[in-house]
Amino acid sequence: MKRCIAAVIAALAAVFFLLPVTGRVVAGQAFYKPDTPKFPQARTWVAQRAKLPPYKAPRTPDGVPDLQGNWNGPVGGGNDDLEEHDYIDVTTPPQESYVSDPPDGKVPYTPWALARRNEIRAGLARGWPGETGQRLYGDPAALCLVGMPRSSFGAQEIVQTRGQVILLTANTYRVIPTDSRTHINSSAKFFFGNSRGRWEGETLVVDVTGVNGETWIDSAGNFYGPNTHMIERWTRVEPNTIDYQITIEDPSLYTRPWTMTYPKRRAGTGPGTNPGGTTAASAAAVVINDPYAKEFWENTCIEGNFDNVLEIKNLGFKWFNPIVP
Amino acid sequence: MRWRYTGAPFDASKEEALVTRSCVRSFVVLCVFAMLALAAGRVAAQTSASYTPPKTRDGQPDLQGIWQVLNTAAWDIQDHGASLGVPAGHGVVEGNEIPYTPAALAKKQENFKNRQALDPLNKCFLPGVPRITYLPYPFQIVQQRDRIDILHEYSRVIRYVYMNGNPHPPGPIDWFMGDSRGRFEGNTLVIDVIHFNDGTWFDRAGNFHSDALHVVERFTPTDRDHMTYEVTIEDPKVFTRPWKMSMPLYRRQEKDAELLEYECGPYLLKEEWNKPNSALFNQR
Repeated sequence: MKRCIAAVIAALAAVFFLLPVTGRVVAGQAFYKPDTPKFPQARTWVAQRAKLPPYKAPRTPDGVPDLQGNWNGPVGGGNDDLEEHDYIDVTTPPQESYVSDPPDGKVPYTPWALARRNEIRAGLARGWPGETGQRLYGDPAALCLVGMPRSSFGAQEIVQTRGQVILLTANTYRVIPTDSRTHINSSAKFFFGNSRGRWEGETLVVDVTGVNGETWIDSAGNFYGPNTHMIERWTRVEPNTIDYQITIEDPSLYTRPWTMTYPKRRAGTGPGTNPGGTTAASAAAVVINDPYAKEFWENTCIEGNFDNVLEIKNLGFKWFNPIVP
Repeated sequence: MRWRYTGAPFDASKEEALVTRSCVRSFVVLCVFAMLALAAGRVAAQTSASYTPPKTRDGQPDLQGIWQVLNTAAWDIQDHGASLGVPAGHGVVEGNEIPYTPAALAKKQENFKNRQALDPLNKCFLPGVPRITYLPYPFQIVQQRDRIDILHEYSRVIRYVYMNGNPHPPGPIDWFMGDSRGRFEGNTLVIDVIHFNDGTWFDRAGNFHSDALHVVERFTPTDRDHMTYEVTIEDPKVFTRPWKMSMPLYRRQEKDAELLEYECGPYLLKEEWNKPNSALFNQR
């Protein structure tokens, strides 16, 4: 049964997060071998970024940097485990950390919060090393719960209108106002928080408050809370690359603010992408010369998922409630 | 990636209402208040004849912004009185009559009797078209040259309306929200929708359709802050002839209006998870 639930969670994680990330999955290579080379993430990308010549993005008719188009998430094992790790299992290849700061690539939890994270990780029942064998929480994403900041790990389309930046996938969206309006009171909690954007030179800076802490940052139990504050920085550093940074602050959970960094490559460019020209819409269905390949088609989740939810529940997993000290 | 609806019937007859009464009451109060406040605007919307909206950069009539209905169609699209949590209302069906076949009418009446257990909305499934439009939640229209995006606050549902020259893809496809292809006729956005499943309803009163449903929606701006929303429903398996709905749409006026969030599925699962005999999880 342990294998069974691991498979369920891995399969769902793949459906929601890995599939849109890269054509590798589309090509049927979702299952990695133990000798897979370590996927580069923050450390390698930050070094590459430092060598790029200055770049000024084209402007939209409203005079702000043009970030529009279809952008993939980071290439590799998705967000199965955001800290640096060796090969864990077929869906979790060796990978550098997404954390660019602190430099050790670890989430700077307080001792108490780190103990909680480790407890969650030990209760995933995925057959990973160090587990207790007890079932604690399944990844909330397996129950169709999505939220900040995980949605940007996948492919997204960016559309800009006057005073707004809109992020789109097949089944969810974020609207980021850039018109200087104030936040709704942060006592109002949302899976995606409340986003307010502003332009600082080439960079879209997004301030996110009011997150609810009911979802994870990855599928390995790394978490934030209902008092967490997030600041994203979206910068087009090359014609076909957006540098994505997110700084996560919460003195009740972390000893210092910390930052994840990864490149988002324009669909159809960059390493590991499908040369047929995938889009945020169609990564899983792309067929070269299919006129519909670049369309978003219906993508359900809870509608077909009650059996999986029931299985996860019957295996003894608990509902994950937001963590506060 | 053609997702088919394969969900089994859900028997929640022993369950209490999934939407709490206080929540329903809030909606009712909000709706009534808003209807009173905007009654004058409604009259204006219905009487202005030839309004020319501004154009987008691509030259389309500009329908962008945040919109919402102010009616009770979400509960019942026909004339109806009030009951607990259900505000009375004039229907939105032209002539009020829905031309069911005799067998379909019997099924509608069964649906009404068992609506708490059978309404797919109580399982947080995608609501279907046109039901999503007249749920009491705001939605935002975003226009591009080849595609109009309708973003709904309800469950963050997105309708992608393609205007890229592609016809409906060949079926059969069973989608909750159907396949939407749009065009402008003058200032009116016309959306043709097919490829539905039979898993959605029109309202909480059990009005339903089959997978042969064909919907044509017409969004016509009547002044800066109002549109007329007209819907033609065709489904030869259920209705003896096509029929129509019509209602105004109102632009949200609050200066801080924005789409917030109503994540139906997560709220439902969290509510039901720890109930020992939740019908949601014990449907087999």
